[in-house]
Amino acid sequence: MNIFTSKRHPLSITASEIRLNVLEMINSASAGHIGGSLSSVEIMVALYFSGIFDFNRDHFVLSAGHLCSTLYAILAKLNKIKYSDLSTFSSFGSSLEGHVSVSVPGVEYSSGSLGQGLSFAAGLALGDKDHHTVCLTTDGEHDEGQIWEAIMFANKYHQGNLINIVDYNGQQIGGTTATIMPLGELAGKYLHFGWTVQTVDGHSLSALIKAIKIAKASTIYPAAIIAKTVMGKGISFMENDYHYHDVKKLPISLYLQAKDELSRSSY
Amino acid sequence: MNSRAPLIKSMRQRLAQALLELATADPNLYVVSVGLRPSVMLDRFSTRFKTRFVECGVAENNAAGISAGLARSGKNVFLCTYSCFSPGINLATIKQSICLNGLSVKIIGYHAGLLTGELGASHQMLEDIALMRSLPKMEVFAPIDATEIYKMVKVLAKSSHPAYLRLVRPSTPVIYPGRLGFTIGKSQVLQSGKDITILGYGPVLVQVFSITTKKSLEIINCSSLKPLDTATILKSVKKTGRLLVVEDHQQNGGLGEAVAAQILKASLKCRFAHLAVNDSFGQSARDPYDLYRLHGLSPVNILDTINKLCSR
Repeated sequence: MNIFTSKRHPLSITASEIRLNVLEMINSASAGHIGGSLSSVEIMVALYFSGIFDFNRDHFVLSAGHLCSTLYAILAKLNKIKYSDLSTFSSFGSSLEGHVSVSVPGVEYSSGSLGQGLSFAAGLALGDKDHHTVCLTTDGEHDEGQIWEAIMFANKYHQGNLINIVDYNGQQIGGTTATIMPLGELAGKYLHFGWTVQTVDGHSLSALIKAIKIAKASTIYPAAIIAKTVMGKGISFMENDYHYHDVKKLPISLYLQAKDELSRSSY
Repeated sequence: MNSRAPLIKSMRQRLAQALLELATADPNLYVVSVGLRPSVMLDRFSTRFKTRFVECGVAENNAAGISAGLARSGKNVFLCTYSCFSPGINLATIKQSICLNGLSVKIIGYHAGLLTGELGASHQMLEDIALMRSLPKMEVFAPIDATEIYKMVKVLAKSSHPAYLRLVRPSTPVIYPGRLGFTIGKSQVLQSGKDITILGYGPVLVQVFSITTKKSLEIINCSSLKPLDTATILKSVKKTGRLLVVEDHQQNGGLGEAVAAQILKASLKCRFAHLAVNDSFGQSARDPYDLYRLHGLSPVNILDTINKLCSR
């Protein structure tokens, strides 16, 4: 199965590797948030491997800390941590906590309690105007009032060096985001709050990279990128099923099927 | 207390002055405001240091997050608003964005305790010490008067830990000796005595100086609530065998419980009383000291308790 509908981008191989890493980490831990981790893969790959940012100076804030397995896999590919560390994910004594932690080299913000990261990112962007700060939030996370406080703040301070990418997969732990708490027209809301907004296919690396470049070029307005994604992307039985927000142990047959599907999507 | 009337000074005003001085010397010092600029007396700071005065509006969670982000970028951040809102509203953000991330934001909690007076129960923060001393890495301080807060904030500005600093609303008597400095983790014996140790923080403790008694009182200012100066406290209690803790805060989670635990750990024998708000809310009062009388924190109540503890 080819999980990409559009022409394959060179970084799609990296995305496939990351997905396999995520599956292995979560399967070995018998714990982890696989649905969102898989929906956010292209977003984080585009951020870290397109060359648009240098995260030794620019900043990345993972507000949705439960998507950490994707970030850990990326940090391993960047040699910030060892690949062998990935198998320690969420185990006793490991720095690779079940929600993202600054104890992992390359991580700038410990999180897990949703809705806080955009405020932190806005503070960081205000304190370091010479560089960009990119925040990754989710659609479900926008239930939190604090997100809207931060959105207003970024408009007030004309934070052109702040980008918020929303992993909009339409699912949260107990159902679709539309049924749990409808967000309505999210792009319009950002626009009315004084941000620039782009809505893109969150699994198209070329579309994401283009959108991130445009967002980076904004000098006065904070920039939102609403990345429309599929929860559990790449594993057919998980896709768009909120029951895969997090998993315990996958039955061996499903694990093998998942591994097979992800392997076949890579070269 | 001396026979002459003590000076009455505003903690808020003195803190504002200290922040102006600190910001003049330190270009990295930022103040994060939460919509209460005039009330927390930061008007002058906001005009003098326009770019370093960050106004978040009435949004305590965002303000705590902004503070944390600024601190991550290397700024020396003071988050300034009423204690009933910070940590009253934003505890989870303080825990994750500040403490868990190891950032040394200084959280200034104005208008704490019953002394907030007219504003009533919603604004009389009586749980802040309990909340803040439970957070890992957070240090907790409550100055006794305007003199101590000035010394305290100059020290805290150099500290690499997150800290909570508790202020009261009204101007209060100044008794802190000018010769005394302030050291994190140290209590000060303001008056030596042998019959009973009286321990507290903030202006509620100042009242003890107005009490006339033949008993010999050892009065300890416990303005460093965390880290707690256990050595000084236990040494005094060993000597007197009696301890009265008085605080303008809920009994639950307050200094009294913290000290009682230390006394038990040390297997010290002592008679103990704890004057604090007993699981109830405050209410409005034009004279806030009416609330001290209502909640058993007045000089009369303190004297009664001293007499009870010293009765054998």
